[in-house]
Amino acid sequence: MNHGTYGCLLLLTAAGVVRAASPPGMVLIPAGVYVPVLRDQADAGRVPVAAFYLDAQPVTNGEFLGFVRANPRWRRSQVPPLFAETDYLARWAGDLEPGPQAPGDAPVVEVSWFAARAYARWAGKRLPTIAEWERAAAAGRQGDTGRLEAGFTAAVLGWYATPTPAVLPAAGSGRSNFFGARGLLDLVWEWVDDFNSALVNGDSRGAGGAGFFCGGSAASNRDPADYPAFMRLGFRSSLHANYTVANLGFRCAEDLALRAAAAP
Amino acid sequence: MVPIALLTLLLPSVRAAGGCCAAAAAPAVRSDRSTYQLGSAWTDDAGRPLKLAELRGRPVVLAMFFTSCGYACPRIVSDMTQVRDMLPPAVRARARFVLVSFDDQRDTVPALHAYRGLHELPADGWVLLRGSPDDIRELAAVLGVQYKRDALGMFEHSNLITVLNAEGEIVHQRAGLEGGLAEVGRAVVAVNSR
Repeated sequence: MNHGTYGCLLLLTAAGVVRAASPPGMVLIPAGVYVPVLRDQADAGRVPVAAFYLDAQPVTNGEFLGFVRANPRWRRSQVPPLFAETDYLARWAGDLEPGPQAPGDAPVVEVSWFAARAYARWAGKRLPTIAEWERAAAAGRQGDTGRLEAGFTAAVLGWYATPTPAVLPAAGSGRSNFFGARGLLDLVWEWVDDFNSALVNGDSRGAGGAGFFCGGSAASNRDPADYPAFMRLGFRSSLHANYTVANLGFRCAEDLALRAAAAP
Repeated sequence: MVPIALLTLLLPSVRAAGGCCAAAAAPAVRSDRSTYQLGSAWTDDAGRPLKLAELRGRPVVLAMFFTSCGYACPRIVSDMTQVRDMLPPAVRARARFVLVSFDDQRDTVPALHAYRGLHELPADGWVLLRGSPDDIRELAAVLGVQYKRDALGMFEHSNLITVLNAEGEIVHQRAGLEGGLAEVGRAVVAVNSR
């Protein structure tokens, strides 16, 4: 076998590993770009996002139950206030009992960033970054930029305006997008790893906007029509890491390289 | 060949003698609101490992920074120095001033050490720390610090000085770069007396 053939086989094998080995319950988000809603002076405006795996749907109550069974310090009665405020898993019937308000197949909510992160680590994964999440969520039905598709932005605004039901529907019931990821926009808000990188001062009535932030100045807005992205930015900026919110859940991500390395 | 039973008898005495495995036990964290519940592993500017729980027992004034920061961070360090200078000597001797870097890539141990020299931060009062990106993100989240790395590898970040009591609980924070230093000093004195 000459070097050329060997090289081709290696490439095919690597591609095969990537194509054939999406981890169970995850979809491949191919490499692309994320265009932030607010662009800072130092940013080019287009952030490259490497390919990664993303959970096809948000983490469920049933899955989170497995996590707290295995990790007692994350049970509702034991979690320190530093890591989760008092409404942590408030709708659950007990430490190890999601109960009727938290169906096993519904997205888990009322979890803090610390809890979401700990779950992801326990599952051998991580939280997606803002860039990764937004890149995945930007997709419409036909391609990776939904807001170019007729009715897409209006639909998202409609979902965001709809009150969250007291009992959430199944995590798999959300709309599937071009990448096969479901419910990114029509189920619950989702934690991201760098939620505290938004650099927006929620209380701009405070003394002096200058001096609160070093370096960033919210310069140009990318697209005034993408109001959903603004809403997400605003929402993330309002969060503290130990907050729990009735319609805030999460899903996990995983690096491609790890999965390829683990493949036989 | 030494019988297993004899080996078992020998082992406890090796431990008691304080040999290889007598690592200093980290002070137990007593409050469920303590920042020191973070188990993250940091390194100081002398290359020594440090867990946050080792800061327990004395007042701490803490800020996040990076050595390449041109404007805000030197102001923060200057503000912390002002606070330290205004403390009564007995309090100043106990309070620790901690700077934690955002910049896991550029702020190596030598870079931190050079920064200490540049800003004349005495060894007995100041602790400079570096850590992993995940742990930096987590500590910032606990403190309420926002930051992001920009396209040039610099950091945009909120400016925050935090006072922790001896248990590691956040008791006071001063946001921005204007004023509020007297209040920071008062907060340090208040937690020192407990």
